[in-house]
Amino acid sequence: MTKRLIYGLISLSVLLAGCATIDTASKNSRLDVIKNRGVLRCGVSGKIPGFSFLDGDGQYKGLDVDICKAMAAAFIGDPTKVQYRPLTAPERFTALKTGEIDLLSRNTTFNLSRDAYQGNGLTFAPIVFHDGQGFMVKKQSRIEKINQLKNSDICVGSGTTTEQNLNDEFQRLGMAYRPIKYQDLNQVIAGYLQGRCKAMTSDKSQLAAARSSFSNPNEHLILNKTISKEPLAPASIGGDQRLSDAMRWVIFALFRAEELGINQNNIYEKLNEAKTNQNLSSLRRFLGVDGEIGQKLGLPNDFVVRIIRSTGNYAEIYERHLGPNSNVHIPRGQNNSYLNGGLLISPPFK
Amino acid sequence: MRIPKSFLYQLIIAFIISCILGVLFNNLIVNLIRTGIGINFKWLMRPAGFALAETSLPYKPSDTYAWALFIGWINSLKVILFSLILATLLGIIAGTARSSSNLLVKSISSLYVALIRQIPLLLQLFFWYFVAFLSLPNTPLEPIGKLLSLSNQSLRIAGVNISVEFCALLIGLTIFTGASIAEVVRGGLNSVNRGQWESFRSLGLNERLGLIHIIIPQSLPAIIPGLTSQYLNLAKNSTLAIAVGYADIYAVSDTTITQTGRAIEGFIILLASFLVLNLLITGSMNILNKLVMRIK
Amino acid sequence: MKFIKKNLNLFSLKRWIRNKPVDFIVTMFLMLLILWVATLIVSWFILEANWNVVSDNLDLYAIGSYPADQKWRPMIWMLSLSTLTIITLTWRRKGILQKSLPWIWILMLPSGLVLMAGGPGLIPVASHKWGGLALTLILALSSAFIAMPLGILLALGRRSKLAIIKYSCGIYIDSMRSVPLIAILFFGQLLIPLFLPVEFDINRVVRAILAFAVFAAAYVAEDVRGGLQAIPKTQVEAAEALGLNPKQIAILIMLPQALRTAIPALTNQAIGLLQNTSLMAILGLVELLGISRSLLANPNFMGRYLEVYVWIAAVYWLICTSMALLARRLEQELDPNILTIKSNEISN
Repeated sequence: MTKRLIYGLISLSVLLAGCATIDTASKNSRLDVIKNRGVLRCGVSGKIPGFSFLDGDGQYKGLDVDICKAMAAAFIGDPTKVQYRPLTAPERFTALKTGEIDLLSRNTTFNLSRDAYQGNGLTFAPIVFHDGQGFMVKKQSRIEKINQLKNSDICVGSGTTTEQNLNDEFQRLGMAYRPIKYQDLNQVIAGYLQGRCKAMTSDKSQLAAARSSFSNPNEHLILNKTISKEPLAPASIGGDQRLSDAMRWVIFALFRAEELGINQNNIYEKLNEAKTNQNLSSLRRFLGVDGEIGQKLGLPNDFVVRIIRSTGNYAEIYERHLGPNSNVHIPRGQNNSYLNGGLLISPPFK
Repeated sequence: MRIPKSFLYQLIIAFIISCILGVLFNNLIVNLIRTGIGINFKWLMRPAGFALAETSLPYKPSDTYAWALFIGWINSLKVILFSLILATLLGIIAGTARSSSNLLVKSISSLYVALIRQIPLLLQLFFWYFVAFLSLPNTPLEPIGKLLSLSNQSLRIAGVNISVEFCALLIGLTIFTGASIAEVVRGGLNSVNRGQWESFRSLGLNERLGLIHIIIPQSLPAIIPGLTSQYLNLAKNSTLAIAVGYADIYAVSDTTITQTGRAIEGFIILLASFLVLNLLITGSMNILNKLVMRIK
Repeated sequence: MKFIKKNLNLFSLKRWIRNKPVDFIVTMFLMLLILWVATLIVSWFILEANWNVVSDNLDLYAIGSYPADQKWRPMIWMLSLSTLTIITLTWRRKGILQKSLPWIWILMLPSGLVLMAGGPGLIPVASHKWGGLALTLILALSSAFIAMPLGILLALGRRSKLAIIKYSCGIYIDSMRSVPLIAILFFGQLLIPLFLPVEFDINRVVRAILAFAVFAAAYVAEDVRGGLQAIPKTQVEAAEALGLNPKQIAILIMLPQALRTAIPALTNQAIGLLQNTSLMAILGLVELLGISRSLLANPNFMGRYLEVYVWIAAVYWLICTSMALLARRLEQELDPNILTIKSNEISN
């Protein structure tokens, strides 16, 4: 009886140890994992109107969410095969590292220490939104410049670059301040609205989004001064070239489609045009009629078509969530294609 | 043949435990190598680069992570200590009120215990912070002149500034823990023989004196163990500070973990600081217990 | 109601003031205070409160973003849970119903899981779509279901004669009890994947349940140990004399008594567990408190804290109180001679 027990135990532990070591041996790209699973796990905020927000019908919507959908369309072929994981700012990188999510599309600022191997060790996809940090104050406080915020309480979200920028700026100006730190943006907004702080600070897009949801937006002022560059980009775990390449070119495809005037409505038209006209070689390559751009990335050759038919190009995504007819209107400004004087540009699809 | 058999069992159990731990540890190492996280504590000496709203000791953002964490720990200690004292007072009052002869007093304290203990602490903290304190007017109220001023930014008593975050946490923890302590106190008072009550009443002592001089001293041995575990709960619950924006040890380690990406090390530090807090509480309660026993 | 009568009777009122002036002043002061608070509350309820934020979103509080066409599933489950609670609390007649009640209760958790997650004939609904009160209940019930047996084993283990078992159980219990729950939950949500094989994935809700269970088990173990200690030594000796082996003594003699003694303490743990599920709101699950926080971020309902908090406080209070009542009922059921125990208490 005891003998059998011991044998059982030994074989069990060998099995368990085996599990652990077999996994060490496999060095699959996360891209294969996503494809095999048939579902993309995307980390989002879930609480920022315009970027990712739980809509009344229980669906996530926003620019960050559409990036997830574009990725799922390219990797899996179906933009609905996404599992959204709402993450707070402090937990997002750990969730990425532990493999709980495949990629992060959550208003994440691209900077050196997050990218570097000795830092957070992430890999960033191209910048999808150029933002900058600012301050919002109540108009009745008559504050118009940051200098006037000396010695005041400032509401800020914890564990964000916002917190560090705030610190850098006030240190530079040699001013003391008290940061009132909250876990998420909603609490920051609540603290600010209820008058806990003179000012709240965040990325200007978020300030605009927040202000648009207030009952009387005109009583609040977003200060002109931008204290930082906040290039927001999706991120994945470092050292996985196949996944990061695929992500990079999915986003470039969104930019490139805008440059070429390809959108959700005319995608099939353009595809037919490309198929029938041999002379449009660059369009044929882009839409996967000729060449093997998809295959080189480990994606289907027509991945661009799959993306555009699911989410549209970058301009369409922007219009949908941040355009004049959306709830959160943020003028495109720097987030325009280079053809219109913005900063978005795609390298050639060759 | 009895001893070898139990020895064999122990061997098997030890083997299973070490197997499980071994597999977990192996996985950890594999994952750490895979994601390039690694474990070291050198980052503790790097400048933290974040400010803290509440510091009992001098602190500036250029100080080290280690110092920032220590400030957080002191902040935890501060809120635990104050709410421990207040909750004990409240608990004793509410607990003894439940054996009061005045029916109104009795029912108010029963209502308090029945209401507070059945609502999650986190919800209560949200209430105290977002509803009670942040709804105070922006310009300070000064009900009794310069001695006390009250606004939704801070509470100032006799020149000492206290943030509303601290106040909300303090009150939330005090009221929640007070209800549990009231139950402990009531249990302790009930453990005193009925005859003792009757005898001091028959001696003509009034209720209050009898309670203080006769009943409470006798019930202390029954109360102190329960009290200790409530204090430990209080210390653990103080980590909910994060919900109201108070910079306690958990909040500071949370920020630290995000900035450095050092989740495991940060977690180890958090656990170690809690170990010290627990030892402080159990240690001083043991001393108290010995004192009580000696008096008895 | 005695004090009102006292007040009404002028003669005794005079005597009351003369004999117990402090008592009189305290009572009057408290009466005024209560009157004042009551007016405030009533006027807020009638004049200021805007209950739209509650009435418009009842579905969200109940089930979160569970698919609308499937919402009958969690609804039926919660409805049957509450019916069962009412029946158990009110139905006193002995009969088939009375006898089958324990079995129906035991079936509630598996049936709830099947209804929520999907099973034979039901479309699967992924756990990340669960939310609201249904998720709160699932979290609390499932973790209690795991924590109970685990806690009992740990309690027995701590009393074992084998040193290794004794000390490893002891270390586990004491270290678990010295750590704040939020740290355990943080560990469960973010660090557990580091200890598992690569790509070995368990979902978020399950991880939360496991974290709650391992935490609660340590507390259950201490309560059960308290119950075990209360059993007189003579009982064990008697059982040994009857020729029962240690395993039989533990299962047949010690455990039933220990558990019965531990019911009040275990009830407190269960209530605490249910309340603590609200911590998952900080860690990103949209259970009852989490969904309320999301609602408060909705531009339409911004700033209506008090209504939302009062409403969900009432829900929590109702559930916790019915749990306490259920436990008391269970205690009565299991205890054939309440009187003897009561008299013991008094003589102690």
